Amino acid sequence: MAIVAQSSKFSTYGRPILAWGVGLLFFFPIFWMVLTSFKTDADAVKPEHLLFFTPTLDNYLNMTENYDYWRFARNSVITAVSATVFTLFVGVPAAYAMAFNPSRATKDVLMWMLSTKMLPAAAVLYPMIFLAKGIGLYDTHILIITVLSLINLPIAIWMLFTYFKEIPKDIIEAGKMDGVNTWGEIKEILIPLAWGGIASTALLVFIFCWNEAYWTVRLTTIDAATLSKLIEGNRAPEGLFFGRLSAVSTAAVGPIVVLGWFCQKQLVQGLTFGAVK
Amino acid sequence: MSDRKLPRLLQTPAVLLLLVWMLIPLGMTLYFSFIRYVLNSLRRPEWTSPSLSNWRGFGNYEFVLKSKDFVLAIQNSLFIVCSILFLTVILGILIAVLINKSFPGQGIVRVLLISPFFVMPAVNAVLWINMILDPVLGLQGIAVAGTNDILDGLRQMPVLGGFFSLWPEFEPISFRATQTSAIAVIMMVTWQWTPFAVLIFMTSLQSEDQQQKEAAVLDGASTWSQFRFLTLPHLGRPIAIVVMIQAIFHLSLYAEIEIVSRGNGNKNLPYLIGEFANNNIGAASATGIFAVILANIVAIFLLRMVGKTLME
Repeated sequence: MAIVAQSSKFSTYGRPILAWGVGLLFFFPIFWMVLTSFKTDADAVKPEHLLFFTPTLDNYLNMTENYDYWRFARNSVITAVSATVFTLFVGVPAAYAMAFNPSRATKDVLMWMLSTKMLPAAAVLYPMIFLAKGIGLYDTHILIITVLSLINLPIAIWMLFTYFKEIPKDIIEAGKMDGVNTWGEIKEILIPLAWGGIASTALLVFIFCWNEAYWTVRLTTIDAATLSKLIEGNRAPEGLFFGRLSAVSTAAVGPIVVLGWFCQKQLVQGLTFGAVK
Repeated sequence: MSDRKLPRLLQTPAVLLLLVWMLIPLGMTLYFSFIRYVLNSLRRPEWTSPSLSNWRGFGNYEFVLKSKDFVLAIQNSLFIVCSILFLTVILGILIAVLINKSFPGQGIVRVLLISPFFVMPAVNAVLWINMILDPVLGLQGIAVAGTNDILDGLRQMPVLGGFFSLWPEFEPISFRATQTSAIAVIMMVTWQWTPFAVLIFMTSLQSEDQQQKEAAVLDGASTWSQFRFLTLPHLGRPIAIVVMIQAIFHLSLYAEIEIVSRGNGNKNLPYLIGEFANNNIGAASATGIFAVILANIVAIFLLRMVGKTLME
């Protein structure tokens, strides 16, 4: 009883008020961006229209005209979706092999894969440009898809590995008794059982691909340029275009933020490589 | 045991892809760092293509170590990374402890809090530097102008006016200048990554031993000593992980620097590499090798820690 009495005052009033305050404070910049996206460019910089203004959809309707938004969005969708699919295509069999048929080297292989993630991208910037231009792949979807897949492959394999480890080996062994071959095991047993884990891995990889802002900026000019490149190219609008810039930014991050809400838990696992439970 | 062979072979594509991805570019960086290699040179056209005959030994490394920008970039990288780590860990712990107990709307607050983490870095930087921090048109400028207007009004008051006329006019701060742009970068990245720290600390707090806590309360332990002697030690490992993961991410911070401080003195290591890479590939590669060494120092600790939990 003492526990309840001791902390009651703070728990009833202080905690909710403070917590809501912090939550709203952190969300405020996003709210502000969305709000500004409904203002005209002129209203967006006038103090008297800070909160009260006539909302307009023009910024969204003119995104194609102002920024050629859909071309960049199309590139983002193509590269992020293809990279996610390719990552899983390579990652699921690899994680399957490591989780169900581990060898003595498995642990080292996993650690080594993780260490590739720690190579600073900038260190290999020029060789990548050199190679890409050499093979004639600079500024193409294929190049961006390959790079996005490779930088996310270690995280994907790690996440899948931790999910697959939870599946009882007996179930897979039972499949073997019934004479199911390896592909059958993956297709008929593993994928249905680990569907949730695979889906959340896919979601997280997709988010990372969408937000990537080093390779997508440095390895593209126009044909394969993604939304990161579009926004980066409009870094200093000199205040003239706050309205339209907010609209295009909202369109670029909105879907991802909403997707992100659904995979908070997986995020912890994916980013800490299962080390925090 | 031949039925094990095929399953094991299934990891080969992943291993080969990553091996190629890591070894070829890194090998090239290492090679370029030991030769004279520039993109444009009218005087020495033979330097414009990579070749062993342009061998320079450790010359590029010496050149980089002696350049003023390199020292600045290292200082700046460390300043930015350390500040972000300090702020996100402190804020992360406070917020996680605050919202870990149930209260009305806990789920919504969690969603509000985590949102910044999913905003793409380019949008984060453009949003903050323009709409929030701009000294004239951003919220900062509007707030400063508004405060000055109010002060002006107060100065007109009959008696108290004399008191307010002692107050100075406020000056808005330009966050695009060399000295301040690092602060802007720290602010925006802290905003984006505090949610990450909160999320991890919260996950960890949920596995805290509740019985131990209740026992402590019955023994009359104060809230502070509960926090100090039970919660904080429990968070030790997550804190280490948050620090190391963020260190690796922020050492290669790029979009924010590029958008906020392009062209001024606020460079970090990745930005300096990009600048060298516009012409002097040898120097860019040598700087890249330094960046790899720096990242590896952090990575070794992280890998050790993760490795321990791997096969549990």
